[in-house]
Amino acid sequence: MSLPRAVIAPPLSGLGAKDAFNRQASAAVRGGAFVFVSGLTSVDPATGEAIRGTMALETQRILENLKLILEAAGTSLERVVKVNVLVHSMLEAPNMNEIYARFFPEPPPARTVCGARLPHGAKVMIECTALAPDDEP
Amino acid sequence: MREVITAPLPGLDLRRHYGHFQSPAIRAGGLIFCSGMIPVDPHTGERLHGTLTSEAHVIFGNLKLLLEAAGSSLDRLVQVHALIYDSIEYNVLNRVYRQYVANGPPARTVWSAQIEAGFKIQLDVIAAA
Amino acid sequence: MTSHRLPRSRVEPANPLLNVSRSANLPHVPGIRIGDYVFLSGMGPIDPLTGERKHGSIAEQVRTTLNNVKHMLESAGSSLERVVRVHVVLADIADIAEMDRVYREFFPVDPPARSAWSMQLRFGNGCEIECVALVS
Repeated sequence: MSLPRAVIAPPLSGLGAKDAFNRQASAAVRGGAFVFVSGLTSVDPATGEAIRGTMALETQRILENLKLILEAAGTSLERVVKVNVLVHSMLEAPNMNEIYARFFPEPPPARTVCGARLPHGAKVMIECTALAPDDEP
Repeated sequence: MREVITAPLPGLDLRRHYGHFQSPAIRAGGLIFCSGMIPVDPHTGERLHGTLTSEAHVIFGNLKLLLEAAGSSLDRLVQVHALIYDSIEYNVLNRVYRQYVANGPPARTVWSAQIEAGFKIQLDVIAAA
Repeated sequence: MTSHRLPRSRVEPANPLLNVSRSANLPHVPGIRIGDYVFLSGMGPIDPLTGERKHGSIAEQVRTTLNNVKHMLESAGSSLERVVRVHVVLADIADIAEMDRVYREFFPVDPPARSAWSMQLRFGNGCEIECVALVS
């Protein structure tokens, strides 16, 4: 019997795949024991329009959207196991970290942060893997 | 079930030393997800800048400690992202890296990335529990 | 409660010319199967007929690479439809739209989660693609 694989329906149209935030990608996919979330950049969750600003603003927006996506997948920030954060400059990592620390409850997931060139002028991209909801009754 | 793997030695607690809002590793679903490993003294947390080779030795030593504390080992690595500060050091990376994964190396992708504190290498890994 | 250890094994492509790990004597394997997942190493635009790098336009490179990924997945008992996560690294971030145009040929329906960004790549490659999939 193969493991279940299911695309998570976006909770708001701006968080959908295709024309919105990440082109030909699903915001999140459940695969077996985990939910895999695409790398998110800062967008308006209703329209998918890019929202650009400070590192803090973009981080805040991404994590608010992430919360919605995880809840749509039947999971939560609390069940995130690993986060990868890509930033346009590591000099700004502390600005990202300050906002990040407000979102994840204790104990926080594992995380790796590094600097890379991001699409569409984004300052930060955040992807994560979370535990899928327990199916057992 | 999501379990935190706490730092087996105080120097590996990067949150305490550097304010990184993360746990050293999380075990879930039969896998161990590790936070990005950087070359720090495992006892004191002091940054140990050096050559890519020397930094890699420190990182692998720390990773071995962390995985063994979690009931795993370097032989149970599944996927590695090897972050290096410049792809020109690719061969140097391979020379040191192969010393630690001789018994059945994992999948790997090498990323040329900007790494914290000007380190030359960082390892981002998933291992099997 | 202790759970049993997931079985771990290496995955290799049916076409040995795509086994860059082996042919270039690199310290990695093309993929690792762990439990019901397969994690693939990053793949680039290698010509499956010669084992040599095959460059050209970004569209051609992405197509070559994703065909190689498809082959690796099928060698591992998986498939493109079972992919859950993809990382696309581009040498030039400006190639993202063109990459996406080709990419959607391979993942037309219910695409996996994806992160795409740009970093310096080796050997003049325009792209490197890595993924995680469920094994059927």
